[in-house]
Amino acid sequence: MSRHQRPRQSVLRPRRLAAPPLRFFLPLSVLVTLLALMVLRGMANNEVFHDEKVAVSVDKTTVPKSVLEGGPVVDSRGDKQDAPVSYTVPDKTVVLTFDDGPSTDWTPKILDVLAKEHIQADFFVTGSMTTRNPALIRRIVAEGHEIGVHTYTHPDLALHNNMRLGWELGETQLALAGVAGIHSSLFRPPYSSTADALDDWSWPVTKEVGKDGYLVAFIDKDTDDWKRPGVNAIVKAAMPDLAGQGEMILLHDAGGNRAQTLAALPIIIDKLKAEGYTFKTIGQALGAGSANTKVTGSTLWAGKAFVWATTFSVGLMPWLVVVLAVVGVLVFGRFALMLVLSLIHVRRTRKPGFSWGAPVTEPVSVIVPAYNEQECIANTLLSLAASDHPIEVIVVDDGSSDDTAALVEEMDLPMVRLIRQPNSGKPAALNTGVAAASYDLIVMMDGDTVFEPATVRELVQPFGDPRIGAVAGNAKVGNRDTLIGAWQHIEYVMGFNLDRRMYDVLDCMPTIPGAVGAFRREALHQVGGMSDDTLAEDTDVTMALHRAGWKIVYAENARAWTEAPGSMSQLWSQRYRWSYGTMQAMWKHRHAFFERGPGGRFGRIGLPFVALFMVFTPLLAPAIDIAMVYGVFFVDPYKSLLAWFAVLALQGFCAWWSFRLDREKAWYLITLPVQQVVYRVLMYMVLLQSWITALTGGRLRWQKLRRTGEVGLDVTTTEAVQS
Amino acid sequence: MTSTAEHEGYASGTDPTATLKLRTITVPEPFVHPPEEAEPAPVVRRGVRDRYLDLLRALALVRVVIYHNFGWTWLPLLFPSMGVMFALAGSLMARSLNRPAWSVIRGRMRRLLPPMWMFGAVVLTAMIADGWGPHAEGHPNWWWGKLAFWVLPLSTPPFADTVHGFSGHLPTSWAEQCVVPLWYLRAYLWYVLLSPLMLKAIRRLPWVTLAVPLVLSAVLNSGLVDQSGRIMETATDFTTFGSCWLLGMAHQEGLLRRIPQYVVPSLAPLVLAAGFWWLQQAPVDDPRVGPDLEAVPLAQAIWSFGCVMLLLHLSPSWERWPKPLERFNGVITLLNSRAVTVYLWHCVALVLTEPLINPLWDNPFIYAHFRGVLTSQWLPLFVAVPLIAVALLLFGWVEDTAAKRSPRLFPYPRRSKGRRRA
Repeated sequence: MSRHQRPRQSVLRPRRLAAPPLRFFLPLSVLVTLLALMVLRGMANNEVFHDEKVAVSVDKTTVPKSVLEGGPVVDSRGDKQDAPVSYTVPDKTVVLTFDDGPSTDWTPKILDVLAKEHIQADFFVTGSMTTRNPALIRRIVAEGHEIGVHTYTHPDLALHNNMRLGWELGETQLALAGVAGIHSSLFRPPYSSTADALDDWSWPVTKEVGKDGYLVAFIDKDTDDWKRPGVNAIVKAAMPDLAGQGEMILLHDAGGNRAQTLAALPIIIDKLKAEGYTFKTIGQALGAGSANTKVTGSTLWAGKAFVWATTFSVGLMPWLVVVLAVVGVLVFGRFALMLVLSLIHVRRTRKPGFSWGAPVTEPVSVIVPAYNEQECIANTLLSLAASDHPIEVIVVDDGSSDDTAALVEEMDLPMVRLIRQPNSGKPAALNTGVAAASYDLIVMMDGDTVFEPATVRELVQPFGDPRIGAVAGNAKVGNRDTLIGAWQHIEYVMGFNLDRRMYDVLDCMPTIPGAVGAFRREALHQVGGMSDDTLAEDTDVTMALHRAGWKIVYAENARAWTEAPGSMSQLWSQRYRWSYGTMQAMWKHRHAFFERGPGGRFGRIGLPFVALFMVFTPLLAPAIDIAMVYGVFFVDPYKSLLAWFAVLALQGFCAWWSFRLDREKAWYLITLPVQQVVYRVLMYMVLLQSWITALTGGRLRWQKLRRTGEVGLDVTTTEAVQS
Repeated sequence: MTSTAEHEGYASGTDPTATLKLRTITVPEPFVHPPEEAEPAPVVRRGVRDRYLDLLRALALVRVVIYHNFGWTWLPLLFPSMGVMFALAGSLMARSLNRPAWSVIRGRMRRLLPPMWMFGAVVLTAMIADGWGPHAEGHPNWWWGKLAFWVLPLSTPPFADTVHGFSGHLPTSWAEQCVVPLWYLRAYLWYVLLSPLMLKAIRRLPWVTLAVPLVLSAVLNSGLVDQSGRIMETATDFTTFGSCWLLGMAHQEGLLRRIPQYVVPSLAPLVLAAGFWWLQQAPVDDPRVGPDLEAVPLAQAIWSFGCVMLLLHLSPSWERWPKPLERFNGVITLLNSRAVTVYLWHCVALVLTEPLINPLWDNPFIYAHFRGVLTSQWLPLFVAVPLIAVALLLFGWVEDTAAKRSPRLFPYPRRSKGRRRA
């Protein structure tokens, strides 16, 4: 979407358009909300055993000896921080514990077995499984079992800081509160085992959790059932070392196929019952009452809200995937189309002996609308004076408040005429110029643009074909050595060499750049000249010409050097005006869709193209970056980054191709990665802002918007205040 | 847009004839090569302080103190102090080197060494009083010999690994904690000594020279080189921040202004990403704290290089403070004129907070009601700041004497210079 349209004007925009204080608020809050929801969803769907990084340490110098040699339940709460106490399961008592659940496949069956045997056990659940299987949590609680916290996402906490620890526990409690209205003061660290396996890295976690008021439950007997060693092995591992010794047995009810666990469970229960064991929960075994307490009031509601938001975000995810897929198809499809069509265009126009028709040698009127252009107008006129094509120049001074007019008079160039008019906007100035033009071919340019000697000649050559009504030139960024300038340089080169060649081949060029374009006077008359209905009069008139049946082509050698906006706020204003103006112009010409003949062709091919690539794609494009951030944190950092860089590489290839077509130095492409990220965000925000303006700005004010003071203060009012 | 126009060299006031003279008909030229490039941008005049550099130096100092108190690993990522300090020093060094090299080096050493001798006198006395001596390592002659590094820190000056801690008032490793800042002086000394060579190299082969320390750092930290020993210690630090020092020199030489403006901000994110990646994949000491930039030299080198690149690229050259910063003039000026003292003594101040805070635990009222304050990491910082101020009062004057200025007790400017002028 490269085009040049009075950047000078964007300097002193009406305050409303240039910097509405809330302009970042809505777009950014949408992005942040989206990201937050994705984080929730990522937590909820984090499969158990996803975070497979496990800390391995050998030293145990900081772990108290009493803990290493003591029972499976460690109490380091409050005053016991520095002198932790270990509890053992009493003799002839056994505690069955199930980790990582609940899962829909296995937990119900395990609960059935336990219910049949009238046994109560402990379930160490993860927060993510809790939010996904709320009904199972409620059933576990209802059947009298005890619930312990096993973190939210099952990471090895020895590898994470206290903030993450607090978060893992806090969110899991929220989930438990929201799902079953309970709080649990039991905790088991992921990847933990017996208490004597504690080391210098895992002990601080236990201590820290104790500080938060949790009892930490390790185990006596690890059945290794998750390795699926066979039913007999599981049963054997669950049997006590010494007859009658109390024990806490670790089993799993999630994280894979648990058929062996399920089969072993009744056997373990039968054998232990035969040995005279009783089955208890941890609370019962320690004689301390249940570790689960009811929560009420705000905590309960916070929990419900949390579960609701998580459920919502889980439901939202497929839609985001669809959006990403759509963006992918659009981006890739567009690039493929552009590459193919630009190749066709280059083949066609660069063929030896190619010409549009008979050489055009008739003189041309060049119209320069000027509003406060004293810095550049001299440069502009001198560049025109060097033109190798016969021209007359008409400078229309649109009520400048600076020395523009005086400067033009003083230069007193022979082929230049100066027309002064009270300030009435760019379209009016252009119409004034057209009315005063002596010739039938009219070139329009900006007052801050510089032509090469051959530009006018190259620009009018296509008029050798009588069907061609207007020609778009090739605008180049002059101030390309600054960062923003280099970004726009890349954008312009890609826009002109890929987009415009594509539109040329498809015969639906949406815009003739205001900086360099040529028209037949006849064609302009036919569409009623320039109109001030929209903020983008160049797009407006181009669409009107299409509907009137004229062909519009791109002349790549007609180069015009312009000065691009030099700051982000100016760039923002310019893009806001372009995108909003484009939307206005599309709305104005929407009926082309149903027309017959050339207008209908434009309406059914050009308009959808513009809508798709200039109005909808930018709104969805940040999905690429959001998906990357999400992927890095929740899926696979390297694959996510690889995908992201693949998209970048594709853009890089297209950019390189377009630079080659225009014989530009590819060195500028080093700034492409930064440019792509910044532009995606910028265009997303600009478009969202335009949409909001379009939807709230009111259809009533659509036609004469600029007089109402919403966006369109644009031309008249501001220029009056400019100094 | 006016500012842009000026920037591009089009605007020349309101005099139209002057405007015309600037114009040439060779069309795209003024765009492709803005005239600005021909004449180097105005270098800050001698004697006028560039407040931006002052701000960076003050930020770096504050960051170091906070980092040594809290040990937050994200702080060095946010602002790589040491790289910034070396870049500033390199820039000043390059500026001074239009004078004869030897006199510049002598001047730098004269400013650097006396504050360090003062520090050494106090710390050595304390260490010996706490039981350190020639027989600490079993080689009395070496011990005496290594003391020479307290005079000229070509290698890290020796210190007591473990001492008695003044009958339990201080941790036994207090000496080690106190001399943490000395590596900076050692590295600085080497950079100063080698600066004339480095300047020549950067004038001859600028881009290659900039990359050399990074490449050397990559080699040294590749695991193929044995890094133990005093020489390797010096070499590692030299290569880690060498590119920052050279970048400072390049900045002073106008090298960064000669390349198109978009290059640095485009490359810096890639450099930072590379540094961050290296940091993430490096093995960690304590997994619960995470990777620390200060502990991974190559990551430190790359990350600092990227940050310094950006900071020097911005380099707005303030002759006067921007409005919002005016109020900090006093603190920043103080920190700048006492930079060496603050840097040398802040670790001593942090060590001394422990015996000052410990008695509070025995006070039943404070223990009962303010235990949160006692356990907080902020308390040592709040105690250390007045201690640092005391150090400034006691030892700050040495900096003035070393710089041949008349010694001042506490160079806090009464009023901001900017306001008086206005």
